[in-house]
Amino acid sequence: MTAPDTVSDTAARLMTSNISVPQHVVYRSFPSETVMLNLETCKYHGLNPTAGQMLDALEQAPCLRDAAIALAERYGQAQSVIEQDMCELCALLLDRGLIEADDSPPH
Amino acid sequence: MTAPRTESDDRSCRPTPVVDRTPGRRLSTVDRVRLVAEIVAAYAQARRALRRAPIASVLSVLRAQSPPSSQSPVTGRIDEARQLGRAVARTLALLPGDTRCLTRSLVLTRLLARRGIPAKLVIGARAAPSFLAHAWVEYEGHPVLFPGDGSFGRLVEL
Repeated sequence: MTAPDTVSDTAARLMTSNISVPQHVVYRSFPSETVMLNLETCKYHGLNPTAGQMLDALEQAPCLRDAAIALAERYGQAQSVIEQDMCELCALLLDRGLIEADDSPPH
Repeated sequence: MTAPRTESDDRSCRPTPVVDRTPGRRLSTVDRVRLVAEIVAAYAQARRALRRAPIASVLSVLRAQSPPSSQSPVTGRIDEARQLGRAVARTLALLPGDTRCLTRSLVLTRLLARRGIPAKLVIGARAAPSFLAHAWVEYEGHPVLFPGDGSFGRLVEL
C-alpha cells in the first residue's frame, strides 16, 4: 500500500489553476525585492527578484503552466524546471494567504 | 534564474519624529486636557480593535459615526489636521505600549473622522538598504503625519 502522492496532486492542481492575489494583499516591486503586505495579518513578506517576476507572470497568465511557458521563453530555461520552482513558490504563498488558486474550469 | 525566495516576518517601522513645526491655533488648558483625553481614548480603542480585527475593519470602526465632511476651507482643515497630528505624536510618545506609526495613524484617523475630516491612512515600504515599513496619514494629498524621508514606496491607501 502506498501513501497518496499529495505533493504531486497539489502541483498538478496548481498547474492548471488561475493564480490571483486576493484583495486583502497588496504588493509592490522594488529593485531588490518585492514587498507583499497581508492586510488581514498585518504581516510583510519579501520576495526576491526571481519570485517577484514569477508573481507578475502568474498575475498576467491564465494559469501557472502558461506563466511558466512565458518565463521559460523569456529566460531560455527548461519549462519543467520553472514549473517546479513556480509550484514551490505558489505553495509557500498559498500557505501565507498571499495568493488564491482557482482550479475551476474557465467560463 | 536564481531560486525564488520568500521571507516573512512582522517587520514594522521605527518611530520617526514629526518635524513639521507649522504654528497652529493655541488651545486653552481645558481644551488641551480634553484633547489628550480624546487621544488616549482613541489609542485604547485602536489597540483593542487591532487585536481583534484586520486593519480595514479597524478603520471602519474608527471612522464610524463621523459627521459629514466639514465645509470649511481645505487649507484650514489641513492646518487643523497637522496640529492634531503633532498633538497625537506628542501624547503617544508619553504612553506605554506600541505607539509606533501605525498606531499613531489610526489614532489620528479617529480624531480627524470625529471632526469631519476624511483622511487616508497610507502604508509604505522600502526594500533597501534594509527593509522598513511606515504608515502615515494624508488629507487631500497632504501628509498630516510625518511621511518618512521620501524613500518609502506606497503600498496601499486605506
